[in-house]
Amino acid sequence: MKSRVWSLYRALLNVNYGWSAAKYYYLRKKQRIWEPIVIGVSIAPAAGFVVWLAWTMTEQLYAGGLSFGQPHLPLVTGTLATAVLSLFFGFFYVLSAFYFSNDLPVLLPLPLGSGEILLAKLGVVLTGQYLLNAFVLVPMGIRYGMLAEAGLGYAVSALLSFLILPVISLVIAGVLAVLLMRLVNLSRYKDQLTWIGGIGLLVLVFAFTFWLQNNVQSDDPMVLMELLMNQADGLIREVGKIFPPSVWAAQAMAYANQALGWLNLLYLILAGAVSLAVLYFLGEKVFLQGVLAGLEGTRGGSRRKQASRDLEVRNAFWTLVSTERKLFLRDPNFALNGLVGYVLFPVMALLPVFGKNLGNNPFDLLSLDQLHPLLAAGGVALFFLVMSGLSLIPSTTFSREGRYLWIMRSLPLSLGQVIGSRVAAAQLINTAGCLLGVLPIAYISGWGVLPVILGAILGVLLASGAALLLTLLDLSRPMLDWVNPIKAVKSNFNGIVGAFGTFGLAFLLGALFYFNWQTETLWLIPLELLLAAALLTALAVLLVRRWAPALWARL
Amino acid sequence: MYSGENKIKVEHSLVKGAAGMIRLQGVTKRYKGASTDAVRSLDLEVRPGEIFGFLGPNGAGKTTTIKIIVGLLKPDQGQVLINGHDLALDPIAAKHAMGFVPDKPDLYPRLTALEYLNLIGDVYGVDAQTRRKRLDYYLDMFQLTEAAGDLIQSFSRGMQQKVALTGALLHAPALFILDEPMVGLDPKSSHQFKEIMREHVREGNTVFFSTHVLEVAEQLCHRVGIINQGELIACGTMDELRSKEGREGSSLEKLFLELTDEGGSYEK
Repeated sequence: MKSRVWSLYRALLNVNYGWSAAKYYYLRKKQRIWEPIVIGVSIAPAAGFVVWLAWTMTEQLYAGGLSFGQPHLPLVTGTLATAVLSLFFGFFYVLSAFYFSNDLPVLLPLPLGSGEILLAKLGVVLTGQYLLNAFVLVPMGIRYGMLAEAGLGYAVSALLSFLILPVISLVIAGVLAVLLMRLVNLSRYKDQLTWIGGIGLLVLVFAFTFWLQNNVQSDDPMVLMELLMNQADGLIREVGKIFPPSVWAAQAMAYANQALGWLNLLYLILAGAVSLAVLYFLGEKVFLQGVLAGLEGTRGGSRRKQASRDLEVRNAFWTLVSTERKLFLRDPNFALNGLVGYVLFPVMALLPVFGKNLGNNPFDLLSLDQLHPLLAAGGVALFFLVMSGLSLIPSTTFSREGRYLWIMRSLPLSLGQVIGSRVAAAQLINTAGCLLGVLPIAYISGWGVLPVILGAILGVLLASGAALLLTLLDLSRPMLDWVNPIKAVKSNFNGIVGAFGTFGLAFLLGALFYFNWQTETLWLIPLELLLAAALLTALAVLLVRRWAPALWARL
Repeated sequence: MYSGENKIKVEHSLVKGAAGMIRLQGVTKRYKGASTDAVRSLDLEVRPGEIFGFLGPNGAGKTTTIKIIVGLLKPDQGQVLINGHDLALDPIAAKHAMGFVPDKPDLYPRLTALEYLNLIGDVYGVDAQTRRKRLDYYLDMFQLTEAAGDLIQSFSRGMQQKVALTGALLHAPALFILDEPMVGLDPKSSHQFKEIMREHVREGNTVFFSTHVLEVAEQLCHRVGIINQGELIACGTMDELRSKEGREGSSLEKLFLELTDEGGSYEK
């Protein structure tokens, strides 16, 4: 059994992360080596920031905890935070991996036990979780070890805790998923669950921001740290009661060379082993029934029957625009990743208005007393530009179609119709999303209508050129071979390039606006934006004419 | 090997109305990294008003040929003419003449069947009255009327196949191209579908399909072509094939096995 689970785990890991393809291209063929380098360079700043934050917070929490005799506070905080987050978000990952993945019809007919399939799939989710946790727990563990001058026993306990704790979190999530699927066939609600998971994350982010806005009265980071520490201490005690393994892990590390530490480590190991056994047993007993229920076809009800009576005859171009829009918005994997920015940025900006701290209201700075209308218009235009990249709509348009691309390629469509309709659909969603975000800010800041209209027009022009370029980028190297649709957007290099590219351009234009402000030449802003849009569009049209026909034929 | 001079001759002959519905000349395709050609110097003509069966063992080059004909693959060499239109020079006109159903018809799972069919109708410019008439006819025949408003992701493979077939027939194409069309259809639908093919041809159109089911080819086809290892090794009516091979009275299955085992090459 062990070797079969191991083989399956390796195969699933390979499929999930595309290691064979990576080895083939990067090592054997020596092609596309620049891709991992660019991706690494792109994520390095964010990863570096998280590592720095974990390192600094460990120092602060250690110093704070020491003052009231609890120097192991950073250990409890770190392990608890990662364990709870693993449990909450792990539930959706595990549910998706266990029940919604497209490999089940291939795996189920194989002579493998259900428990074996579950363990292998859990292993894949676990591997991803280790990678995520490592950014926080590794710097935290090292910094704590240095501060506490901990020895070899601490290192062993820390390593074992790092490995075992996510197992327990994800097994609990897995057991919940297996039991839930046995009772209710959630496959029918796969999309709704994905929406709930995504929106849940947003709500958490908003809630945290809101809490900060309402509790932090000072700009001093030490005040914030103290507040987090005090709140966290109470939280630890409460949540620690609900999820004792995090406390066992923290105590195993804190008292590494003492009997109490070894006892807690033993608890942790036993809990890990028992949880795996429970999952395996449940897998053998009830997993299959849940999966089979999920694989059965489900049919829509009478709600859609009326739709069958509707027969719309439209111009081919607008049908293509409408199809692109539907295919994007109806898949929560695409829509959640693409639309999050339209909601996230404006809401994050609006939250302070509803908080207690109106004295720190950033809208004071955005009001027209402080901000020239042309600067406001420029800001709106730049928001349109940035969101056209961050939304991933144009930069993953062909990738998202994957194996369905044969339909468009076999239809009598000109390349102008294909590309034009995709750019138009992207612009429609981008314009609607940006206006949704900008209008409340404009209203609260008292910008009036004109700066918003001017900014929106310039923004649409600017974003259209960017969208055309990004569509061409995706045409040049689409990621068509995916099993899980989320890969087409989240693991897509074109999306990363699009986001960073538009952000970089917006940054340059922003710098230009600053120069205009300094030199009192703000009247130049609309002209600069028009010029930028014209140059971008001209470049995009030139490149599309030059390269697109060959790229389309090559797909 | 195909030359530019031949191209001019072909275009002239087409203008005079002597063209085939499909004409392949010297078509060669080799996939990147492969050591052999998937299709090699393929010459083939499918005449208007016939049902043409394209046969061959697995990996013989059937699907590659079909993908080249419908414009999903670009040949390395050679020319493809569809209803007189050079696919490389005027792909839109060539595709307007076609309706295509691939071997695995992956349709957009998050569109309803009706939305998908409307998309196809709009692209081919099928007017509302004709569209309604044809949709009613095919959806009723395939028992999809009730499900037409459902998302395609809820459909079985067979149902998706029927939606794809309906989409391909919606504009009454002069050339109907199918890759393994019987796979996934239940016996009743399979029977109905054979009738559709016959009816389509009776209306003056052409059907080109690949299949592994030799009985179907024997029943339906006016002519068949057998491809093996990327080369056309036999082409003609059943009687022509039997007489050429000196196997009067042999079944298509026996002929097919003998021809593909020997790996012989077809002499025009």
